[in-house]
Amino acid sequence: MSETDPRLRKMFEAVAQAIIAHADELTELDSAIGDGDHGHNMTRGMQAVLGELDALVAKPWNEALKAAGMQLVMKVGGASGPLYGTLFMTLGKSLDTPPTRDGLAAALHAAIEAVMARGKASAGQKTMLDVLVPVSEAVSAGRSSAEVAEVARKACAATKEMLATKGRASFLGERSVGHIDPGARSSQIMIETIAEQLGDAK
Amino acid sequence: MSDVALTAEVLLEHEVGLHARPSVKLTKLAKTFRSRIDVSPGPDGPWIDAKSIVKVMGARAPKGTVLHFRAAGEDARAALDALVALVRNDFETGAAGEAE
Amino acid sequence: MSNVGIVIVSHSPLVAEGTADMVRQMVGDEVPLAWCGGDPDGGLGTSVEAILAAIDRAWSEAGVAMLVDLGGAETNSEMAVEMLPDARSGKVVVCNAPIVEGAVVAATEASGGASLQEVRRTAEELSAL
Repeated sequence: MSETDPRLRKMFEAVAQAIIAHADELTELDSAIGDGDHGHNMTRGMQAVLGELDALVAKPWNEALKAAGMQLVMKVGGASGPLYGTLFMTLGKSLDTPPTRDGLAAALHAAIEAVMARGKASAGQKTMLDVLVPVSEAVSAGRSSAEVAEVARKACAATKEMLATKGRASFLGERSVGHIDPGARSSQIMIETIAEQLGDAK
Repeated sequence: MSDVALTAEVLLEHEVGLHARPSVKLTKLAKTFRSRIDVSPGPDGPWIDAKSIVKVMGARAPKGTVLHFRAAGEDARAALDALVALVRNDFETGAAGEAE
Repeated sequence: MSNVGIVIVSHSPLVAEGTADMVRQMVGDEVPLAWCGGDPDGGLGTSVEAILAAIDRAWSEAGVAMLVDLGGAETNSEMAVEMLPDARSGKVVVCNAPIVEGAVVAATEASGGASLQEVRRTAEELSAL
Protein backbone atom coordinates (compact mmCIF):
# COMPACT_ATOMS: atom_id res chain seq x y z
CA MET A 1 0.00 0.00 0.00
CA SER A 2 1.35 3.40 -0.86
CA GLU A 3 1.40 6.22 1.60
CA THR A 4 -0.22 9.45 0.55
CA ASP A 5 1.85 11.64 2.87
CA PRO A 6 4.74 10.45 5.09
CA ARG A 7 3.85 13.09 7.70
CA LEU A 8 0.59 11.30 8.37
CA ARG A 9 2.22 8.13 9.73
CA LYS A 10 4.57 10.14 11.92
CA MET A 11 1.69 12.21 13.23
CA PHE A 12 -0.50 9.25 14.19
CA GLU A 13 2.43 7.33 15.70
CA ALA A 14 3.59 10.30 17.74
CA VAL A 15 0.13 11.10 19.12
CA ALA A 16 -0.65 7.47 19.96
CA GLN A 17 2.71 6.91 21.63
CA ALA A 18 2.46 10.14 23.62
CA ILE A 19 -0.96 9.16 24.99
CA ILE A 20 0.19 5.62 25.77
CA ALA A 21 3.30 6.96 27.50
CA HIS A 22 1.12 9.14 29.75
CA ALA A 23 -1.49 6.47 30.47
CA ASP A 24 -0.58 6.10 34.14
CA GLU A 25 -0.70 9.84 34.70
CA LEU A 26 -4.11 10.11 32.97
CA THR A 27 -5.46 7.28 35.08
CA GLU A 28 -4.15 8.92 38.23
CA LEU A 29 -5.83 12.22 37.32
CA ASP A 30 -9.04 10.38 36.52
CA SER A 31 -8.92 8.43 39.79
CA ALA A 32 -8.98 11.72 41.69
CA ILE A 33 -12.15 13.11 40.11
CA GLY A 34 -13.57 10.44 37.79
CA ASP A 35 -13.70 6.69 37.54
CA GLY A 36 -10.01 6.05 36.95
CA ASP A 37 -10.20 4.52 33.50
CA HIS A 38 -9.12 7.38 31.23
CA GLY A 39 -5.51 6.27 30.72
CA HIS A 40 -6.55 2.69 30.15
CA ASN A 41 -9.36 3.58 27.76
CA MET A 42 -7.27 6.01 25.74
CA THR A 43 -4.46 3.45 25.51
CA ARG A 44 -6.85 0.84 24.14
CA GLY A 45 -8.11 3.34 21.54
CA MET A 46 -4.64 4.45 20.50
CA GLN A 47 -3.44 0.85 20.21
CA ALA A 48 -6.37 0.23 17.89
CA VAL A 49 -5.28 3.21 15.80
CA LEU A 50 -1.69 1.86 15.69
CA GLY A 51 -3.04 -1.54 14.71
CA GLU A 52 -4.78 0.02 11.71
CA LEU A 53 -1.90 2.35 10.90
CA ASP A 54 -0.94 0.84 7.53
CA ALA A 55 -4.51 1.10 6.29
CA LEU A 56 -4.92 4.60 7.74
CA VAL A 57 -1.85 6.10 6.14
CA ALA A 58 -2.86 4.77 2.74
CA LYS A 59 -5.78 7.18 2.85
CA PRO A 60 -5.76 10.93 2.28
CA TRP A 61 -5.59 13.08 5.47
CA ASN A 62 -9.30 13.65 5.79
CA GLU A 63 -10.26 10.00 5.28
CA ALA A 64 -7.48 8.87 7.63
CA LEU A 65 -8.76 11.18 10.39
CA LYS A 66 -12.30 9.89 9.92
CA ALA A 67 -11.12 6.29 10.10
CA ALA A 68 -9.01 7.00 13.21
CA GLY A 69 -12.03 8.68 14.81
CA MET A 70 -14.09 5.58 14.09
CA GLN A 71 -11.45 3.42 15.84
CA LEU A 72 -11.61 5.69 18.89
CA VAL A 73 -15.42 5.57 18.97
CA MET A 74 -15.41 1.80 18.82
CA LYS A 75 -12.49 1.02 21.10
CA VAL A 76 -12.03 3.71 23.76
CA GLY A 77 -15.29 3.19 25.61
CA GLY A 78 -16.51 5.56 28.31
CA ALA A 79 -17.54 9.03 27.29
CA SER A 80 -14.08 9.77 25.88
CA GLY A 81 -14.56 7.42 22.91
CA PRO A 82 -17.45 9.31 21.33
CA LEU A 83 -15.96 12.67 22.28
CA TYR A 84 -12.49 12.08 20.80
CA GLY A 85 -14.08 10.07 17.99
CA THR A 86 -16.34 13.00 17.14
CA LEU A 87 -13.34 15.35 17.29
CA PHE A 88 -11.31 13.30 14.81
CA MET A 89 -14.24 12.39 12.54
CA THR A 90 -15.36 16.01 12.26
CA LEU A 91 -11.77 17.15 11.65
CA GLY A 92 -11.66 14.61 8.84
CA LYS A 93 -14.96 15.80 7.40
CA SER A 94 -13.92 19.45 7.52
CA LEU A 95 -10.21 19.37 6.63
CA ASP A 96 -8.75 20.01 3.20
CA THR A 97 -6.38 17.39 1.98
CA PRO A 98 -3.51 18.05 2.14
CA PRO A 99 -4.28 20.36 5.05
CA THR A 100 -3.69 24.10 4.93
CA ARG A 101 -3.27 26.47 7.83
CA ASP A 102 -6.57 28.28 7.22
CA GLY A 103 -8.33 25.00 6.57
CA LEU A 104 -6.99 23.62 9.85
CA ALA A 105 -8.35 26.57 11.83
CA ALA A 106 -11.82 26.16 10.31
CA ALA A 107 -11.80 22.38 10.71
CA LEU A 108 -10.69 22.64 14.33
CA HIS A 109 -13.50 25.08 15.00
CA ALA A 110 -16.07 22.76 13.41
CA ALA A 111 -14.70 19.75 15.29
CA ILE A 112 -14.90 21.51 18.65
CA GLU A 113 -18.48 22.60 17.95
CA ALA A 114 -19.29 18.95 17.27
CA VAL A 115 -17.64 17.84 20.54
CA MET A 116 -19.68 20.46 22.41
CA ALA A 117 -22.88 19.14 20.86
CA ARG A 118 -21.93 15.53 21.57
CA GLY A 119 -21.05 16.19 25.20
CA LYS A 120 -23.73 18.90 25.69
CA ALA A 121 -20.95 20.95 27.21
CA SER A 122 -19.21 24.28 26.78
CA ALA A 123 -15.91 25.82 27.88
CA GLY A 124 -15.56 26.61 31.59
CA GLN A 125 -16.91 23.29 32.88
CA LYS A 126 -13.53 21.63 33.54
CA THR A 127 -13.39 19.39 30.48
CA MET A 128 -11.26 18.77 27.39
CA LEU A 129 -13.00 21.82 25.88
CA ASP A 130 -11.08 24.07 28.24
CA VAL A 131 -7.94 23.13 26.33
CA LEU A 132 -9.42 22.74 22.85
CA VAL A 133 -11.30 26.06 22.75
CA PRO A 134 -8.29 28.31 23.54
CA VAL A 135 -6.14 26.17 21.21
CA SER A 136 -8.64 26.69 18.42
CA GLU A 137 -8.64 30.44 19.07
CA ALA A 138 -4.81 30.50 19.00
CA VAL A 139 -4.73 28.58 15.72
CA SER A 140 -7.31 30.96 14.21
CA ALA A 141 -5.22 33.92 15.38
CA GLY A 142 -2.26 32.55 13.42
CA ARG A 143 -0.06 31.65 16.39
CA SER A 144 3.03 29.48 15.81
CA SER A 145 3.07 25.81 16.76
CA ALA A 146 5.19 26.56 19.82
CA GLU A 147 2.79 29.28 20.91
CA VAL A 148 -0.22 27.00 20.45
CA ALA A 149 1.49 24.33 22.55
CA GLU A 150 2.10 26.91 25.29
CA VAL A 151 -1.56 27.98 25.18
CA ALA A 152 -2.56 24.34 25.62
CA ARG A 153 -0.19 23.85 28.57
CA LYS A 154 -1.51 26.90 30.39
CA ALA A 155 -5.13 26.03 29.63
CA CYS A 156 -4.64 22.51 30.94
CA ALA A 157 -3.00 23.75 34.15
CA ALA A 158 -5.86 26.22 34.60
CA THR A 159 -8.41 23.40 34.82
CA LYS A 160 -6.93 22.56 38.23
CA GLU A 161 -8.74 25.43 39.94
CA MET A 162 -11.97 25.00 37.99
CA LEU A 163 -15.21 23.59 39.38
CA ALA A 164 -16.48 20.63 37.35
CA THR A 165 -20.08 21.06 36.20
CA LYS A 166 -20.09 18.38 33.50
CA GLY A 167 -19.29 14.68 33.44
CA ARG A 168 -18.70 12.43 36.38
CA ALA A 169 -16.38 14.90 38.13
CA SER A 170 -19.39 17.20 38.58
CA PHE A 171 -20.78 14.78 41.19
CA LEU A 172 -17.87 15.86 43.40
CA GLY A 173 -18.88 19.52 43.34
CA GLU A 174 -16.33 21.63 45.24
CA ARG A 175 -14.10 18.61 45.73
CA SER A 176 -13.34 18.62 42.00
CA VAL A 177 -11.32 21.80 42.57
CA GLY A 178 -7.58 21.20 42.97
CA HIS A 179 -7.21 18.49 40.33
CA ILE A 180 -6.30 18.84 36.66
CA ASP A 181 -9.04 17.45 34.42
CA PRO A 182 -7.88 14.19 32.77
CA GLY A 183 -9.65 14.99 29.47
CA ALA A 184 -8.00 18.41 29.38
CA ARG A 185 -4.63 16.71 29.99
CA SER A 186 -5.08 14.10 27.24
CA SER A 187 -6.14 16.86 24.83
CA GLN A 188 -3.10 18.91 25.80
CA ILE A 189 -0.79 15.93 25.24
CA MET A 190 -2.22 15.50 21.76
CA ILE A 191 -1.95 19.20 20.91
CA GLU A 192 1.61 19.41 22.20
CA THR A 193 2.62 16.36 20.18
CA ILE A 194 0.97 17.64 17.02
CA ALA A 195 2.61 21.04 17.51
CA GLU A 196 6.03 19.37 17.87
CA GLN A 197 5.44 17.36 14.72
CA LEU A 198 4.31 20.37 12.74
CA GLY A 199 7.23 22.45 14.02
CA ASP A 200 7.31 25.65 12.05
CA ALA A 201 5.52 24.15 9.07
CA LYS A 202 2.50 26.10 7.97
CA MET B 1 -66.24 9.71 30.94
CA SER B 2 -69.88 9.36 29.87
CA ASP B 3 -72.56 8.26 32.31
CA VAL B 4 -72.98 4.90 30.58
CA ALA B 5 -69.76 3.65 32.16
CA LEU B 6 -69.96 0.27 33.89
CA THR B 7 -68.32 -0.13 37.27
CA ALA B 8 -66.89 -2.92 39.40
CA GLU B 9 -64.98 -3.15 42.64
CA VAL B 10 -62.66 -5.68 44.17
CA LEU B 11 -60.68 -5.95 47.40
CA LEU B 12 -56.93 -5.78 46.86
CA GLU B 13 -55.48 -8.62 48.92
CA HIS B 14 -52.03 -8.84 47.37
CA GLU B 15 -49.49 -8.80 50.19
CA VAL B 16 -47.62 -5.67 49.19
CA GLY B 17 -50.48 -3.91 47.43
CA LEU B 18 -50.46 -2.63 43.89
CA HIS B 19 -46.69 -2.51 43.58
CA ALA B 20 -44.58 -2.85 40.47
CA ARG B 21 -45.33 -6.37 39.26
CA PRO B 22 -49.12 -6.29 39.85
CA SER B 23 -49.22 -2.84 38.23
CA VAL B 24 -47.54 -4.20 35.12
CA LYS B 25 -50.01 -7.09 34.94
CA LEU B 26 -53.03 -4.88 35.50
CA THR B 27 -51.92 -2.35 32.90
CA LYS B 28 -51.06 -4.99 30.33
CA LEU B 29 -54.46 -6.60 30.77
CA ALA B 30 -56.29 -3.25 30.56
CA LYS B 31 -54.49 -2.49 27.32
CA THR B 32 -55.95 -5.58 25.68
CA PHE B 33 -59.41 -3.94 25.74
CA ARG B 34 -60.62 -1.14 23.55
CA SER B 35 -62.76 0.46 26.23
CA ARG B 36 -61.62 3.43 28.23
CA ILE B 37 -60.84 2.03 31.69
CA ASP B 38 -60.16 3.98 34.88
CA VAL B 39 -59.19 2.69 38.29
CA SER B 40 -59.43 4.37 41.68
CA PRO B 41 -58.47 3.46 45.25
CA GLY B 42 -61.94 4.60 46.42
CA PRO B 43 -65.47 5.19 45.14
CA ASP B 44 -64.90 8.92 44.71
CA GLY B 45 -61.56 8.88 42.91
CA PRO B 46 -59.01 10.04 42.12
CA TRP B 47 -59.61 8.12 38.89
CA ILE B 48 -56.54 7.19 36.93
CA ASP B 49 -56.11 5.64 33.50
CA ALA B 50 -55.79 1.89 34.07
CA LYS B 51 -53.75 1.63 30.86
CA SER B 52 -51.06 3.99 32.16
CA ILE B 53 -48.37 1.91 33.83
CA VAL B 54 -46.72 4.98 35.34
CA LYS B 55 -49.95 6.28 36.88
CA VAL B 56 -51.07 2.87 38.17
CA MET B 57 -47.69 2.21 39.73
CA GLY B 58 -47.64 5.74 41.12
CA ALA B 59 -50.99 5.24 42.88
CA ARG B 60 -49.28 2.92 45.41
CA ALA B 61 -52.58 1.34 46.52
CA PRO B 62 -51.86 -0.73 49.67
CA LYS B 63 -53.22 -4.13 50.66
CA GLY B 64 -56.80 -3.78 51.87
CA THR B 65 -57.73 -1.10 49.35
CA VAL B 66 -61.02 -1.63 47.52
CA LEU B 67 -60.11 -0.97 43.91
CA HIS B 68 -62.87 0.60 41.88
CA PHE B 69 -62.93 0.18 38.14
CA ARG B 70 -65.10 1.93 35.61
CA ALA B 71 -65.12 1.21 31.92
CA ALA B 72 -66.85 2.66 28.90
CA GLY B 73 -66.84 1.10 25.47
CA GLU B 74 -67.90 -1.91 23.48
CA ASP B 75 -65.96 -4.41 25.59
CA ALA B 76 -66.45 -2.68 28.95
CA ARG B 77 -68.15 -5.65 30.61
CA ALA B 78 -65.47 -8.11 29.55
CA ALA B 79 -62.75 -5.69 30.62
CA LEU B 80 -64.19 -5.28 34.12
CA ASP B 81 -64.68 -9.04 34.52
CA ALA B 82 -61.12 -9.74 33.48
CA LEU B 83 -59.60 -7.04 35.70
CA VAL B 84 -61.59 -8.13 38.74
CA ALA B 85 -60.58 -11.74 38.09
CA LEU B 86 -56.92 -10.72 37.87
CA VAL B 87 -57.04 -8.94 41.24
CA ARG B 88 -59.02 -11.80 42.83
CA ASN B 89 -56.49 -14.32 41.56
CA ASP B 90 -53.77 -12.34 43.30
CA PHE B 91 -52.23 -11.35 39.95
CA GLU B 92 -51.20 -14.91 39.18
CA THR B 93 -50.32 -15.37 35.51
CA GLY B 94 -52.93 -17.22 33.56
CA ALA B 95 -55.74 -15.14 35.12
CA ALA B 96 -58.82 -14.95 32.94
CA GLY B 97 -58.40 -12.77 29.91
CA GLU B 98 -54.72 -12.11 30.41
CA ALA B 99 -53.58 -14.10 27.42
CA GLU B 100 -53.70 -12.13 24.25
CA MET C 1 -47.57 -6.45 14.03
CA SER C 2 -44.17 -6.24 15.68
CA ASN C 3 -43.69 -4.63 19.09
CA VAL C 4 -41.12 -1.94 19.80
CA GLY C 5 -37.81 -3.41 21.01
CA ILE C 6 -36.05 -2.41 24.23
CA VAL C 7 -32.29 -1.99 24.68
CA ILE C 8 -30.72 -1.58 28.12
CA VAL C 9 -27.28 0.04 28.37
CA SER C 10 -25.47 0.22 31.70
CA HIS C 11 -21.86 0.73 32.73
CA SER C 12 -22.23 -2.53 34.61
CA PRO C 13 -23.10 -5.78 32.83
CA LEU C 14 -24.68 -6.96 36.10
CA VAL C 15 -27.04 -3.98 36.21
CA ALA C 16 -27.91 -4.36 32.53
CA GLU C 17 -28.54 -8.09 32.74
CA GLY C 18 -30.47 -7.74 36.01
CA THR C 19 -32.67 -5.05 34.51
CA ALA C 20 -33.33 -7.27 31.50
CA ASP C 21 -34.26 -10.11 33.88
CA MET C 22 -36.78 -7.88 35.61
CA VAL C 23 -38.33 -6.93 32.27
CA ARG C 24 -38.57 -10.58 31.20
CA GLN C 25 -40.13 -11.69 34.50
CA MET C 26 -42.47 -8.76 34.98
CA VAL C 27 -43.53 -8.07 31.43
CA GLY C 28 -42.86 -11.25 29.50
CA ASP C 29 -41.46 -12.26 26.14
CA GLU C 30 -43.59 -10.19 23.78
CA VAL C 31 -40.96 -7.48 23.33
CA PRO C 32 -37.60 -7.88 21.64
CA LEU C 33 -35.05 -7.18 24.38
CA ALA C 34 -31.27 -6.84 24.49
CA TRP C 35 -28.76 -5.46 26.96
CA CYS C 36 -25.11 -4.52 27.04
CA GLY C 37 -22.72 -3.22 29.66
CA GLY C 38 -19.09 -3.09 30.62
CA ASP C 39 -16.05 -2.06 28.63
CA PRO C 40 -14.28 -4.44 26.22
CA ASP C 41 -11.83 -5.49 28.98
CA GLY C 42 -14.51 -6.48 31.45
CA GLY C 43 -14.44 -3.32 33.58
CA LEU C 44 -17.21 -0.80 34.07
CA GLY C 45 -18.07 1.18 30.97
CA THR C 46 -20.07 1.26 27.78
CA SER C 47 -18.98 0.76 24.21
CA VAL C 48 -20.51 1.95 20.97
CA GLU C 49 -19.66 -1.38 19.35
CA ALA C 50 -21.61 -3.34 21.98
CA ILE C 51 -24.52 -0.88 21.85
CA LEU C 52 -24.78 -1.25 18.07
CA ALA C 53 -24.84 -5.03 18.47
CA ALA C 54 -27.57 -4.79 21.15
CA ILE C 55 -29.71 -2.58 18.91
CA ASP C 56 -29.33 -5.19 16.21
CA ARG C 57 -30.42 -8.01 18.54
CA ALA C 58 -33.50 -6.12 19.73
CA TRP C 59 -34.33 -4.77 16.28
CA SER C 60 -37.97 -4.32 15.41
CA GLU C 61 -39.50 -2.57 12.42
CA ALA C 62 -41.60 -0.68 15.00
CA GLY C 63 -38.37 0.78 16.38
CA VAL C 64 -36.17 0.44 19.45
CA ALA C 65 -36.37 2.37 22.74
CA MET C 66 -33.13 2.59 24.75
CA LEU C 67 -32.80 2.94 28.50
CA VAL C 68 -29.36 4.01 29.65
CA ASP C 69 -27.60 4.90 32.89
CA LEU C 70 -25.03 7.60 33.65
CA GLY C 71 -23.10 10.02 31.46
CA GLY C 72 -21.00 7.97 29.06
CA ALA C 73 -23.80 5.51 28.48
CA GLU C 74 -25.93 8.31 27.11
CA THR C 75 -23.14 9.81 25.02
CA ASN C 76 -22.20 6.41 23.60
CA SER C 77 -25.82 5.55 22.91
CA GLU C 78 -26.45 8.78 21.03
CA MET C 79 -23.28 8.16 19.03
CA ALA C 80 -24.42 4.63 18.21
CA VAL C 81 -27.82 5.88 17.05
CA GLU C 82 -26.15 8.34 14.69
CA MET C 83 -23.92 5.63 13.28
CA LEU C 84 -26.82 3.38 12.34
CA PRO C 85 -27.79 3.18 8.69
CA ASP C 86 -30.32 5.91 7.76
CA ALA C 87 -33.15 3.40 7.48
CA ARG C 88 -32.68 2.55 11.15
CA SER C 89 -31.40 5.66 12.91
CA GLY C 90 -34.78 7.40 12.75
CA LYS C 91 -36.40 4.47 14.52
CA VAL C 92 -34.22 4.40 17.65
CA VAL C 93 -34.68 6.73 20.61
CA VAL C 94 -32.83 7.17 23.90
CA CYS C 95 -35.45 7.62 26.64
CA ASN C 96 -34.82 10.20 29.33
CA ALA C 97 -35.87 7.92 32.17
CA PRO C 98 -34.35 5.95 35.06
CA ILE C 99 -32.90 2.73 33.67
CA VAL C 100 -34.69 0.04 35.70
CA GLU C 101 -38.10 1.66 36.10
CA GLY C 102 -37.89 3.03 32.57
CA ALA C 103 -37.14 -0.38 31.08
CA VAL C 104 -40.08 -2.01 32.87
CA VAL C 105 -42.63 0.64 31.96
CA ALA C 106 -41.32 1.00 28.40
CA ALA C 107 -41.56 -2.76 27.90
CA THR C 108 -45.04 -2.81 29.43
CA GLU C 109 -46.14 -0.12 27.00
CA ALA C 110 -44.40 -1.84 24.09
CA SER C 111 -46.00 -5.20 24.90
CA GLY C 112 -49.40 -3.73 24.10
CA GLY C 113 -48.31 -2.74 20.60
CA ALA C 114 -47.73 0.95 21.37
CA SER C 115 -45.78 3.07 18.90
CA LEU C 116 -42.16 4.08 19.55
CA GLN C 117 -43.24 7.61 20.50
CA GLU C 118 -45.83 6.26 22.96
CA VAL C 119 -43.25 3.95 24.53
CA ARG C 120 -40.83 6.82 24.92
CA ARG C 121 -43.48 9.16 26.35
CA THR C 122 -44.51 6.54 28.91
CA ALA C 123 -40.94 5.97 30.06
CA GLU C 124 -40.34 9.70 30.29
CA GLU C 125 -43.49 10.21 32.40
CA LEU C 126 -41.44 8.66 35.21
CA SER C 127 -39.10 11.63 35.30
CA ALA C 128 -42.08 13.95 35.81
CA LEU C 129 -43.34 12.16 38.95
